[in-house]
Amino acid sequence: MSAICRQQRLASWLGAGLLLASVVLLLLGASVGSTGFESVLKAWNDPVALQIVWDIRLPRTLGAWTAGALLGLAGAVAQGLFRNPLADPYLLGSASGASLGVALALVFFGVSPFATQWLVRLGLTGAAFAGAVGAVLLTLMLAKGVQHTLRLLLAGVIVGVVLGAFASLAMLMVPEVMQAMQAFMLGSTGYVGWTACALMAGVWLLCMGGAWMLSPVLDGLSLGEATAASLGLPLLQMRAALVVVLALATGTAVAQTGLIAFVGLAAPHLVRSVAKTTHGRLILLSSLMGGVLLMAADMLARWLIAPQELPVGVLTAMLGGGYLLWLMHRNSRSSAGASL
Amino acid sequence: MKNLCQKLLLCLAAASALMGASAAQALQVTDDRGVNVTFAQSPQRIVSLLPSLTETVCELGQCQRLVGVDRYSDFPLSVRALPQLGGGLDPNIEAIVALKPDVVLLATSSRAGERLQALGLKVLALEPKNHADVRRVLEKIGQLLDVPDAQRVWRVIDAAVSAAAQSLPASVKNTRVYFEVNRAPYAAGEASFIGETLARLGAKNIVPASLGPFPKLNPEYVVRANPDVIMVGDRNYAGMEGRPGWAGIRAIKERRVCVFSVAQSDVVVRPGPRMAEGARLMAQCLQGMQGRAP
Amino acid sequence: MKNAMHSIAIHAHAIRASLGNVQILHGIELALQRGRWTSIVGPNGAGKSTLLKVLAGLLPHTGSVTLLGQPLASLPGRLRAQQLAWLGQNETTGDDLTVWDVAMLGRLPHQPWLAAPSAADHAAVEQALRATQAWDWRGRTLGQLSGGERQRVLLARALAVQAQVLLMDEPLANLDPPHQADWLVLVRELVQHGTTVVSVLHEISMALHADQMVIMAQGRITHQGACADIATHRALENVFERRIAIHALGEQWVALPKVS
Repeated sequence: MSAICRQQRLASWLGAGLLLASVVLLLLGASVGSTGFESVLKAWNDPVALQIVWDIRLPRTLGAWTAGALLGLAGAVAQGLFRNPLADPYLLGSASGASLGVALALVFFGVSPFATQWLVRLGLTGAAFAGAVGAVLLTLMLAKGVQHTLRLLLAGVIVGVVLGAFASLAMLMVPEVMQAMQAFMLGSTGYVGWTACALMAGVWLLCMGGAWMLSPVLDGLSLGEATAASLGLPLLQMRAALVVVLALATGTAVAQTGLIAFVGLAAPHLVRSVAKTTHGRLILLSSLMGGVLLMAADMLARWLIAPQELPVGVLTAMLGGGYLLWLMHRNSRSSAGASL
Repeated sequence: MKNLCQKLLLCLAAASALMGASAAQALQVTDDRGVNVTFAQSPQRIVSLLPSLTETVCELGQCQRLVGVDRYSDFPLSVRALPQLGGGLDPNIEAIVALKPDVVLLATSSRAGERLQALGLKVLALEPKNHADVRRVLEKIGQLLDVPDAQRVWRVIDAAVSAAAQSLPASVKNTRVYFEVNRAPYAAGEASFIGETLARLGAKNIVPASLGPFPKLNPEYVVRANPDVIMVGDRNYAGMEGRPGWAGIRAIKERRVCVFSVAQSDVVVRPGPRMAEGARLMAQCLQGMQGRAP
Repeated sequence: MKNAMHSIAIHAHAIRASLGNVQILHGIELALQRGRWTSIVGPNGAGKSTLLKVLAGLLPHTGSVTLLGQPLASLPGRLRAQQLAWLGQNETTGDDLTVWDVAMLGRLPHQPWLAAPSAADHAAVEQALRATQAWDWRGRTLGQLSGGERQRVLLARALAVQAQVLLMDEPLANLDPPHQADWLVLVRELVQHGTTVVSVLHEISMALHADQMVIMAQGRITHQGACADIATHRALENVFERRIAIHALGEQWVALPKVS
């Protein structure tokens, strides 16, 4: 039994390690910003410093964790659903849909008072969420359901390219929105407050529960579609439910923090490099890994050229990509044929 | 014989005078890339691919020489009737060539310059980014268009800016201002064109020159700096009070936020001959906000 | 009559099936006996794998299939999965799952949703892995195994279901002769304990070890009969255009290609 237990023990250690890292990064994140650690020390006496730490830094750091957790979860689900290690949460066109939503909102903001009124209620986050979910629905319509994975993938690529082209067109016609769009596309936790945090945490709990319940389907699918069907798994309904989880998680993360690349792609691989488990634990660990990754990147983004900010997406690519490169290098030296 | 000699001499003198005149008319202009462009005579057909350059040409009274503009040039209203040749970054090369311009004015950041030059057109790359640039570009285009009193035009603009500054009461000086260019948030620092105008009006910018002209700030910075007045464009304003921690900023608490409409934003942001109007808009803002001070 | 009804494990009637626009199966009539080992053979493209998928309920088709007396179409998926196990040609991408995890997936039809494995599950998985000599490396991941070792693990997964009917498509792929012999012993044991085994095999000599043989060509069944029958051997030689010859070797039959 000890041979089986080894992977499970590794998984438990990884989970504990990620939780510990999350707490450490939370404390560090609260002390980093335009002013640095003095704000925390002054927080007791100075109301402005207290506000900075409590109202701005803490929700940002927690928000980075929840957004990363949502992306990590979505990435693991996407890779299991499409049985493709290169899958990421944005496969079904949600990234381009969110970009288009934000672009249209920015373009129409100043145009007419009526439009502005509605857009203020919706907010940029609402527009991004609506765009992301709308794009996934469009993909599902084009692919005529979740029956054929290849058709779904293809439809997702098409929707992504077409909606992305429309977003670029909007940016071209109204160049004033170009810089704001660029900032959105590179991602930032700049405006994440407590309500946004609570929203993301709620969606995370929901999606985590859903993905956990549906994880046996992903395990079955890794043996092949026909084999999964022969095991009596109701593939159609469960795949549709997984697509809903994917869309919800991705749309929520993108709406609050913009397009952050690489977290969804890298987190499952990073988990698998430590522990090989079934999808239930993989999705949970991948979520934790994504949270830690994004929190670390966000902290660096705020700290490196304070008081200016780097786009978080650049740092996630460097951190996640760098670690993956190191892993590949180490693996190719030690054992041939081992998976990444 | 003497008559013939006299007529010949007269002809020679006239000819040399004419040659001398045309030699004097040969123009040489150096653009912002450092390229020397020579013109046999002042260009009569001009294509402009940058709104501030379009406005400069018209400010010098030579609007009639424009045969084509980019899609973002919208002032004065007469240029909207001209053929639109794409944007500054993606111009319609074919349409430009078809208009047979004598010179094409565009930004230094445009890649079209090389292509147009390869097709045999004369290209001048000019991009005003601050007050000194506006003056320099005004004078250069004045030289190009053979307009003698370009410097006077500049003096009028400059005087108008000073007048706007002087119209402000002393209590407005040293108001701490945050100018948001877009919602990422990108701010206009002291080193930018807008920052220079604000400085001339006597206001203080919360973003020092050391951060560059348009830094992407950590929103926390604005909260800590606690500006007295916020200036922002219509598009970027919506939802500003909802940003975490911003409700406590003095400018937002006391509702001292100037929201510029799209047309007004264009005037304020563009480094061109309308900078006096931009200064007036900002001065009106500061004065108006003054009335709400406790 | 009741006995006769229940002695048929799978009954297929007027089966027509297509893949895309091409019709593969043209009216199949089949009755597979319970507690017997039937092998399905035929040239490439005869539709053997397609027929097996139809019998497992994995492909849409016209006509009816009955499993252990009940219409397959009306059986709930879980119940069918408990009674029928299917092993397909390798389509696995789960390189990161351990051998034990893969075998445990075979117990899904018996486990309540999301329940932890019970003692019965553990026992079934252990039995299956020992039967395929894969028990010793149950902690390794699939990606670390060779082709033959993978095949044995996938076989263990199918065995772990402990279903009454076991359908296998090319189960000997990548297996070396000793392990092919092990597989033979395994199947004979299963049949002795009452399991119905149906296998699609390329290796004619192995197929001749079965009780019954179904010969297919171009989407139709050309012959059904006992493996020991001369008529079956003749039909086999005919379907391969007389390019093989069946010889007796001790107590076995061996099919050898005719080299001219």
